[in-house]
Amino acid sequence: MHSFELFLPDNIKDASLRGGPNAVFKAAGTDLLDRLKERIENPETLINLLEFKKDLAGINPQAGGFDIGSLTSIHDIASSASLAGPEWRALKQAAETTATPQIRNRGTLGGNLLQKTRCWYLRSEAFKCLHGGRGPSCLAVDGENRYHSVMGTLDCMRVHPSNLAPALYVLGAELSTQSGEESNRFPIAELYPELPLASEAEHTLSDNEILTHIHIPAAVTGTSTAYVESREKLSFDWATTAAAVLLVMKGKAILSGRICLGAVAPNPIPCDQAAEMLAGQDASMELFGKVAAAAYAKAVPLAQNEYKIELGKAVLRDALAQASGLR
Amino acid sequence: MKNEHEMRVGFAGDNRKIKVDVPEGDLTPWDLDTKLESVGGRSDRIDAFAKVTGRAKYAYDINLPGMLHGIILRSPHPRGSVKSVDLSKTLDMPGVKAAVVMKQGERNRIRYVGDPVAAIAADTLDQARDALSAIVAEYEIEAHNVELLAAEGAPNLNENNISDPWPVPRPAARRRPADPDMELEVSEADVSAEGTWSMEVQTHSSLESHGNVVWYKKETDSAEIWASTQATFGARQALASALDIPQDRVTVRAEFVGGGFGSKFTPGEEGMACALLSKQANAPVKLMLDRFEEHTCTGNRPSAVIQIRAGAKKDGTVVAWDTRSFGGPGCNGRGGSTSHHTNYFDNAKHRRIHVDLATDTDASRAMRAPGRPQGVFAMEGMMDILAAKCGLDPLAFRLLNDNSELRKAEWQLGAEKFGWAEHYNASPGSGEDPRYLRGAGMASAFWGGMGGGKHRVTCRIHRDGSVESRNGAQDIGTGMKTLMAMLTAEELGISPEQIRVSMGNTNDPPGPASGGSTTTPSLSPAVRHAAGLAKQELGAKVAERLQVDANKIIWQNGHIGLQGGEMIPFQEACKLIGAEPIEATGIRQANYDGYQDNVCGCQFAAVRVDRETGLVLVEKMLGVQDCGLVINQKLAESQVIGAMIEGISYVLHEQRIMDPKQGRMLNGDFANYKIAGTLDMPEMEAIMYSVANGKNNVGAAGLGEPPSTAAPAAVANAVSNALGLPMRSMPITPDKVLAALHSKKK
Ligand SMILES: Cc1cc2nc3c(=O)[nH]c(=O)nc-3n(C[C@H](O)[C@H](O)[C@H](O)COP(=O)(O)OP(=O)(O)OC[C@H]3O[C@@H](n4cnc5c(N)ncnc54)[C@H](O)[C@@H]3O)c2cc1C
Ligand code: SF4
Repeated sequence: MHSFELFLPDNIKDASLRGGPNAVFKAAGTDLLDRLKERIENPETLINLLEFKKDLAGINPQAGGFDIGSLTSIHDIASSASLAGPEWRALKQAAETTATPQIRNRGTLGGNLLQKTRCWYLRSEAFKCLHGGRGPSCLAVDGENRYHSVMGTLDCMRVHPSNLAPALYVLGAELSTQSGEESNRFPIAELYPELPLASEAEHTLSDNEILTHIHIPAAVTGTSTAYVESREKLSFDWATTAAAVLLVMKGKAILSGRICLGAVAPNPIPCDQAAEMLAGQDASMELFGKVAAAAYAKAVPLAQNEYKIELGKAVLRDALAQASGLR
Repeated sequence: MKNEHEMRVGFAGDNRKIKVDVPEGDLTPWDLDTKLESVGGRSDRIDAFAKVTGRAKYAYDINLPGMLHGIILRSPHPRGSVKSVDLSKTLDMPGVKAAVVMKQGERNRIRYVGDPVAAIAADTLDQARDALSAIVAEYEIEAHNVELLAAEGAPNLNENNISDPWPVPRPAARRRPADPDMELEVSEADVSAEGTWSMEVQTHSSLESHGNVVWYKKETDSAEIWASTQATFGARQALASALDIPQDRVTVRAEFVGGGFGSKFTPGEEGMACALLSKQANAPVKLMLDRFEEHTCTGNRPSAVIQIRAGAKKDGTVVAWDTRSFGGPGCNGRGGSTSHHTNYFDNAKHRRIHVDLATDTDASRAMRAPGRPQGVFAMEGMMDILAAKCGLDPLAFRLLNDNSELRKAEWQLGAEKFGWAEHYNASPGSGEDPRYLRGAGMASAFWGGMGGGKHRVTCRIHRDGSVESRNGAQDIGTGMKTLMAMLTAEELGISPEQIRVSMGNTNDPPGPASGGSTTTPSLSPAVRHAAGLAKQELGAKVAERLQVDANKIIWQNGHIGLQGGEMIPFQEACKLIGAEPIEATGIRQANYDGYQDNVCGCQFAAVRVDRETGLVLVEKMLGVQDCGLVINQKLAESQVIGAMIEGISYVLHEQRIMDPKQGRMLNGDFANYKIAGTLDMPEMEAIMYSVANGKNNVGAAGLGEPPSTAAPAAVANAVSNALGLPMRSMPITPDKVLAALHSKKK
């Protein structure tokens, strides 16, 4: 990597004030350091947020839900007794299936939501692509795209890599950020660009804005959630497709549902229309099959990734079956 | 002079006495009737503690005062030539101490992305990397191709079937054996089948990357080298020549090696670069490759397409077997051959044709049983297809056709221990479980690996009772050091913990390169011989002390002396040695004719396939394997289990993915190059089948490669059994499984 200055702030405010176009926040650095070592990013200053880890780590019960500090490790989420119930299970499952034990021990929730796409063209210094800001076009669109987007009609075929984001979508999470003195609170969907073009950054935070907390609201009675992903092997693999679901159940009947897909498009994809098909129906594999088909109705595969559509549907059916107790 | 000696050889099901010619001075060979103490046990590796605590020092761990860090500028283009390289600006960069051009004059061809162009050494690795961008290299770029099936001479595959008439091989193709009219043979069989198998490039992925620390010292015109190598003596020769100094002034050390799998036989261009940089800077230089270089510049197991047509009689006897294969060895255009044993069709008409196709990619290298897992994957796949056509269970079909009595015994033992009847899916492609399909498969192993060479081993016994066994070759992780301790201990009647072993230093006696599964069978007889000679000397001293004839002396329970008379403990006996230790040099004698020249084995796998996600999980695997005399059960089993792990990873996950346009690997790191991990592992068992092969005074045979030839095929056949469709393309990833399930629905 290139040399940089390492800034060790005392508190969130100091950290934020040092933010800017040539500086970058570092949490555990498990994602960031890979990018620096590959020299695809070369900041002048690294601002180490772990200096005030104690202020921003922890899962705290709050009004029936939780406030989770952005520096909480993925392992702490995966092993949290507070999140063990069916209403939070999606988050726990998403955390458990993330990365390796070592990465889960170090990597933070905030860093997971803000990590860069794993597109292999973008991640290599040798390839110069549009989204990487170094080339005229997307190299994946007619290159090696077996793991890329099946929902991409835009100019960048990347997929969103975070396991935890889809789970937080269905849980209705909100995020708090701080820039200097100013703080802000907004729904998780606003963390990601509305139109994820190649020219857009992968998240909407400004360069002095620090993600501080993730808020999960109280769950309605009868809530049950699940997160399921497909992958090529069980020990450490990125999801090829993922689905997080939330169902509010009364007996066998589904009162309402939420669905969010991961790893199939540049953003997590909430599927509200498909989810509406669940309301007022009894849980059945047949219903879930129709819902999954609807969720992927607009999918457009690239040359090498048609299999992801079928996989994505299977994973969504499985998530719905788990949440409804059918499996 | 040779002495005729009678010994009992073979295995439980077939043991007999044979006469062998034992060279003068050799020890009496061990056989089935020999009672052994240490040998055959389950000792831990003698270096296990050093390894797990990080005390073991690999080349990568060596750091010396004033050491520089080397790095290589590699071509970003897959094909062309280097027009010029200008190092002048680089030499002015901070910390840079040396720079060399690696492509010039006649030798300026660029053959793949990563071909070395120049190398520099600087005070820190980051300085070296910064300085790379100051090298001005000009290239003449040519059109390239990195895809096997787009190479000149590639077969025109039509949906993975052989649709054309069997193409006539190019003249360059090798034919083995001489060409019968195979077309006729196959078409006249009662039952025939044909198919195409394909497989991708697998990289060696050794945990320790390739590289060296070279310390050239101008004052003495000598060098000390720490190498990650499979051949210390070969490394000394090559690096002495690169440094242009006599070999006697070069010491190569490789006390611990973090894996090689066939890719570390020579110091390679990185070794040459390191030597030149060290000489230029007159300072130690460390040049270890990074993970991307490791995946892209240090060889690989080549990709291949294998086509088979075969025929059998109604009763299941194989009558014709015709194989042709295309290998993708990369830029060298050779070395991509695939192969199989012929135990199933030695009595049938058979032929094998191979053609290598060149691509603009890194050249392949030997990798654990070069060519075999590929060839066996196709052969065993075809065996199951033919078995089904003959209405026979895969086990019955193999028992009928296998002409190895040893392996037949192994099939039967393995099938019983594995529970073949219970795991085999008799209605392939179906099952009661709504989510998972299950199936089982099997495959055979075969290899040579009897060892040889005139290697030497030193054994020293000191006055204080300490014992050394020394050889200059490397233990690349197979456990040779442990075997040296056990063999020496056995001969001296003491415990292995009392032996200090040294390997991996070229100042010690010469030993082999570790390849072809030969290190253990090549060195073991010399280890035993050295200990035996040292024992004779100590025995003579005891005889002198007891004032008896040396041939009256016996060794028993760690004591030396007279039958029914005075017995002196080993430790006490050593006090008869003066300040100069006993030192004996054992010599590896040529192999005797012996009982057999190969090893066999078989493996079984049971899998579960997720009908919805296409994910294959291996649930259970069992291997039966012989390797002559088993010196250490635990280490032997660990070779078999390691081979199964590697096989699962190869057949289900591993593949080099290239960007065709830039000709560059896209998954050249451990985040994207997928290797099976702990959660992907089945319940595994290895059963060692002991065979006295009568080849030398120990009778050990190679074990590194044989079990790795069977594992991928066993798993692939299990998946095919579960799906009710032959899976002929590896790696068997979920997308391929889903496509297969779809094709069935249609
Ligand atoms: C081998 C490996 C496997 C992985 N597998 C998976 C997987 O299967 N599923 C999955 O979801 N993820 C996976 N990941 C990603 C992993 O979860 C992230 O690397 C990790 O969570 C990032 O956390 P971190 O604290 O290390 O972030 P860092 O690397 O420190 O930061 C990541 C990014 O977020 C920014 N950032 C971090 N915290 C803040 C904050 N509080 N405010 C503002 N900006 C911030 C940084 O500037 C940086 O751009 C994997 C990573 C690796 C290395
Ligand atoms: S998918 Fe996006 S990140 Fe990947 S090559 Fe295309 S533009 Fe670049």
